Amino acid sequence: MKARTVEYFIKEAVSSLRHNGLMSFASISTVALSLLILGLFLIMVLNLNQIASSIESKVEITVYLQDDLSDYEQRQIGTQITKISGVTEVIYVGKEEALKRFRERLGEQQSLLNALGDTNPLPNSFEVKVDMPEKVKLVASALSKMKGVENAKFGQEVIEKLFSLTRMIRLFGLVLIIFLALAALFIISNTIRITVFARRKEIGIMKYVGATNWFIRWPFLIEGMILGFGGALISVILIVKIYGLLIQQVTESLTFLPLIPQYPFLTRISMFLLVTGTAIGALGSTISLRRFMKV
Amino acid sequence: MIRMLGVSKVYSKGCIALSDVSVEIQKGDFVFVVGPSGAGKSTFIKMLFREVIPSSGQLFVNGHDVGEMAMAEVPYLRRRLGIVFQDYRLLPNKTVYDNIAFAMEVIEASRRESQKRVNHVLDLVGLRNKAYTYPTQLSGGEQQRVAIARAIVNKPQMVIADEPTGNLDPDTSWEIMKIFETINKGGTTIVMATHDKPVVDAMKKRVIAIEKGCIVRDQAKGAYGYES
Repeated sequence: MKARTVEYFIKEAVSSLRHNGLMSFASISTVALSLLILGLFLIMVLNLNQIASSIESKVEITVYLQDDLSDYEQRQIGTQITKISGVTEVIYVGKEEALKRFRERLGEQQSLLNALGDTNPLPNSFEVKVDMPEKVKLVASALSKMKGVENAKFGQEVIEKLFSLTRMIRLFGLVLIIFLALAALFIISNTIRITVFARRKEIGIMKYVGATNWFIRWPFLIEGMILGFGGALISVILIVKIYGLLIQQVTESLTFLPLIPQYPFLTRISMFLLVTGTAIGALGSTISLRRFMKV
Repeated sequence: MIRMLGVSKVYSKGCIALSDVSVEIQKGDFVFVVGPSGAGKSTFIKMLFREVIPSSGQLFVNGHDVGEMAMAEVPYLRRRLGIVFQDYRLLPNKTVYDNIAFAMEVIEASRRESQKRVNHVLDLVGLRNKAYTYPTQLSGGEQQRVAIARAIVNKPQMVIADEPTGNLDPDTSWEIMKIFETINKGGTTIVMATHDKPVVDAMKKRVIAIEKGCIVRDQAKGAYGYES
């Protein structure tokens, strides 16, 4: 294809976009809105996954010991735990230490503990870390069966809730995204159909003077792609701004939330949205072009 | 140039437009196709540039079997043909120059080549001075001259014209015919469907008369032969 022909295609596409200003605007807005929502869902799901796995990787198993064990027995249990496969770290937390921590956690309300007097109801325990999050459950169940162990606990429920939340958002997002993508496709294909209809005479003449079908198609295809790309660009700009604000807010108030850093995360999301938008545009015009090309 | 062997065309509702037509047109011929309305003239003409496909029989244009031709080859067939319609079919939003250059653009000619050819055909139809006006500013005859210029800008081997003077007054028709004659003298085959009795009678070219889908007369240096 010659440079001059490409220039001609682009010129035709742009002049047609201007000619159908209102329809073009509607198409770009629909694509922008759809991709904005797609992008936001993507960001939400990926971040929730990140949060879930970061919590999971930090998970410790707390092994509570029975109250009547001797120091020797306790130390023996400690060595046994170290031998379980997957265990990377075992820290002994005595009753006194546990009470101290509990006191700290209560903060201003620690006066509640004064009611206990000198008795310490907390058991001795071990904090156990494992090398892979998937092993947490297995190791925990092995630990709880050991002799001298009262029970072994970990933050299973929190993680599972988080994962099921992610799953739900993902499903809901998928349905919404498919719906919006179809809407974008529909409106772009309609815009192109209007353009094609407005220029049917010209297309007829092109055919009589020997234009190939691809020669006729390209300007419309480019028009659709510009619509899709334009919409995607708007959504990308909005998403970059929104995520920037979010990160700012989170680092100020919720420091512990491990959000995905802006870059290169946003670059990838942006590329994905731009490609998707352009593809929706191309597909939209192809749908409209298929019908009239058989002359 | 054109060879029809037992060509028939039956439309979907069973109307027979052409029935077992065989005819040959040589390179450089000037042929009028005449006959009453609805006799099959239009079908005959439209088959030549494959707007209509034969139902049976064989039609060769430039040695290519038009009936068997793949869709993808049709544009290349049409690049060797120039087509002129009764209603001119110009683009109102393009200048005269651009309307003609359009045909060069479509076949991806270079700018220089396009410029050279467009100016040449503008001279040939005598519209060089109106190159940058729009079709709506022109008379019917001038519009048809633009259409002819567009048809021949690619140096086609054959020009196919469907009632090119149908909308024009007699004087203007004559001007148009002179242009066709000039083109024909350059070696281009011309096939023209027409109702224009004075033109056909005066030009003394080959006349093919079609009635009820059959060729009823084919004479060299013929006359229109119907009351107009």
